[in-house]
Amino acid sequence: MSIMEYNGGSVIAMVGKDCVAIASDLRLGNQALGISSNFQKIFPVTDRIYLGLPGLATDVTTLRELFRYRVNMYTIKEERDIEPETFAHLVSSTLYERRFGPFFIEPVMAGMSKTPSGGYKPFIAATDLIGCLNFAKDFVVAGTASSKLYGVAEGLWEPDLEPEDLFETISQTMLNAVDRDAYSGWGVIVHVMTKDKVITRTLKGRMD
Amino acid sequence: MNSFADRFAITGPIAELRKAQANVEDDEFSDAAWGSEAGFGSLAKGIPTFTVPNVPDPSSFLRLHTDDHADPNCRIKIQHGTTTLAFRFQGGVIVAVDSRATAGSYVASGTVKKVIEINPYLLGTMAGGAADCQFWETYLGMHCRLHELRNRERISVSAASKYLSNLVYSYKGMGLSMGTMICGWDKTGPAVFYVDSDGTRLKGDLFSVGSGSTFAYGVLDQGYRWDLSDEEAQELGRRSIYAAGHRDAFSGNTCNLYHVKEDGWRFIGNYDLSQMHYEGPSGTGYGYDIRVEGRSSADAPPATAA
Amino acid sequence: MASADGGAYSYSLTVFSPSGKLVQIEHALAAVSQGTTSLGIKASNGIVIATEKKSPSILVDDSMLEKVAVVCPNIGIVYSGMGPDFRVLITKARKSAQAYWKMYGEYPPTRVLTQEVANVMQQATQSGGVRPYGVSLLVAGWDNHRGPTLYQVDPSGSFWAWKASAIGKNMVNAKTFLEKRYNDDISLEDAIHTALLTLKEGFEGQMTEKTIEIGVVTVPTPAELEAGHSGAATGRPKPTFRKLTEEEIRDYLAL
Repeated sequence: MSIMEYNGGSVIAMVGKDCVAIASDLRLGNQALGISSNFQKIFPVTDRIYLGLPGLATDVTTLRELFRYRVNMYTIKEERDIEPETFAHLVSSTLYERRFGPFFIEPVMAGMSKTPSGGYKPFIAATDLIGCLNFAKDFVVAGTASSKLYGVAEGLWEPDLEPEDLFETISQTMLNAVDRDAYSGWGVIVHVMTKDKVITRTLKGRMD
Repeated sequence: MNSFADRFAITGPIAELRKAQANVEDDEFSDAAWGSEAGFGSLAKGIPTFTVPNVPDPSSFLRLHTDDHADPNCRIKIQHGTTTLAFRFQGGVIVAVDSRATAGSYVASGTVKKVIEINPYLLGTMAGGAADCQFWETYLGMHCRLHELRNRERISVSAASKYLSNLVYSYKGMGLSMGTMICGWDKTGPAVFYVDSDGTRLKGDLFSVGSGSTFAYGVLDQGYRWDLSDEEAQELGRRSIYAAGHRDAFSGNTCNLYHVKEDGWRFIGNYDLSQMHYEGPSGTGYGYDIRVEGRSSADAPPATAA
Repeated sequence: MASADGGAYSYSLTVFSPSGKLVQIEHALAAVSQGTTSLGIKASNGIVIATEKKSPSILVDDSMLEKVAVVCPNIGIVYSGMGPDFRVLITKARKSAQAYWKMYGEYPPTRVLTQEVANVMQQATQSGGVRPYGVSLLVAGWDNHRGPTLYQVDPSGSFWAWKASAIGKNMVNAKTFLEKRYNDDISLEDAIHTALLTLKEGFEGQMTEKTIEIGVVTVPTPAELEAGHSGAATGRPKPTFRKLTEEEIRDYLAL
């Protein structure tokens, strides 16, 4: 059994037109036994970065705290918010520090990054559990339902989706993929980010 | 690799095995296959035979390729996750099962029929290897019919289950995987027998089998009485499968419900577990969060505007 | 009371004198003011740092002397004071910049790098068995956040941002000169000439491309920024700090 299947859970992030979306399921399990249907795996890092941490639940909490510490130290030292690209590198370096005894987490990031001209552009990234970065231009997936998420996302995603359409796309991708995964599900949460706001919605999913 | 040479050799272990197989085909299975033969006489000729892997130890060879504890990447996956239950009560037998089939973490199907309709008076449930259950319970149905023709009366649930149990026992160690409940109504009234591939055969009032059985037992035990009404009993079966489908990752999707009475079994219905979670039987869902919504301290009711 | 030579407080440990001074640091500053003059000027579109390079003998191969050092593609440092101490600091600064790159995938902002170096220098004022660094530094760099910035770091570990500053032997005169010549919208070209003029004041001997060193920060254009963001042709952003070649310096001196 894979250690990712000990607690279960999945995350996906998608790029749209001047927006990004990130979604996760809400299940916390102990192998086959479902424990909680309100386990948050996505956390805000700055006003413009969300971080999803699917994997071993104890490491979700530990990494959440570790990244909070490191991002706070960065913010104080540099007197500015960390940019999504920089944060992705921080995530990668932090995970590689544990190359020979890794955190069992496959992080997914979504954010809006500043352009030199003062605008914002969507950014998503994911890494494996030892920090190999994947800067995708369409979508990234992770967790026990990742193979199923790839399949549904390949079918539903299209370029330049407006925020409302991106919400619908990521929601349907998540809901349908987790229904094919024994270790994910029990509800879904979705965040859609534009340059000036984030909309968060909790979806009713299958509860079996 | 000289398996090609082995195949045509006249001596050696492979050849010995081939000779042994040929013998088996000649006189079919020994009487041990059904113990005393229970009056079946020459029916022995009806036993099916199987091609066995051409290796020195066929059962360990099979185990190597099917046991997913030894090797998670093995090619043949046996369906393990399931919840099935059956119980006897005043009004007959209730049989309820889920409909999920998983291969590893993949939900391969949500519409599996896990109740096998052996004949109009007998039901078998399916847990473990889907093919094993389907094949042997259908085969059991065939023999039950032969029994009827020969003896001018229906086979008892006890005899039918014993036939199955003796059958699977003769294959013990060969990798059969089944956990089944044979349910029906005979001269003795409602009857439920638990039979599994280890050879266990148990008579009882109430059984649940599969990865979700513990959850089903929880609901079943606290709601079970002999004098349950038909409606109460059906609801208990449904509610128990819901509980298992909710908590167990390898059970779920829908519940198939059967009720066996004196005149045979009847299919009651197919129920979506998620719909039961949110809506339940009367509009209020079974789901914990649905039942406590606005009532717990963690989720207090909204303050009513003055 | 501290005597003229520092008395009992002038050796080994950096400890406070009763009057509240750290005499070792004052001595370090004295070492700086014996060093050759260095200066830095911030322009509207860049920064120039320059220094006088003096070899102790004509027999020294002065092409090997380096007083303006590149730390990372966006930051350079010039010093006045003790060469060996500077070499140690530069090594640490370069390592720090690479460590930052390893962690964040980009080079440090000027302020962060300056702070790192200043911390090293501060630590030498509080640790046992060491002496303060005998150098002052001018750190020039460009970053996304603050644009072009020029910092001066002293042996005490304190640092400030400057529009123009000078350190070393002739710093007082040079600063007075800069105060007179400086204005906020000076261009990088003008700043380089001002730097040369300032160095010329009190320059010992002939000022040639062999006897001075110049480093410049160039602010990238918006087009370069966009290109740099997406990796450009080489896949690497263009360096914003570079040292002028001897040919370039010769051309500036000829004007």
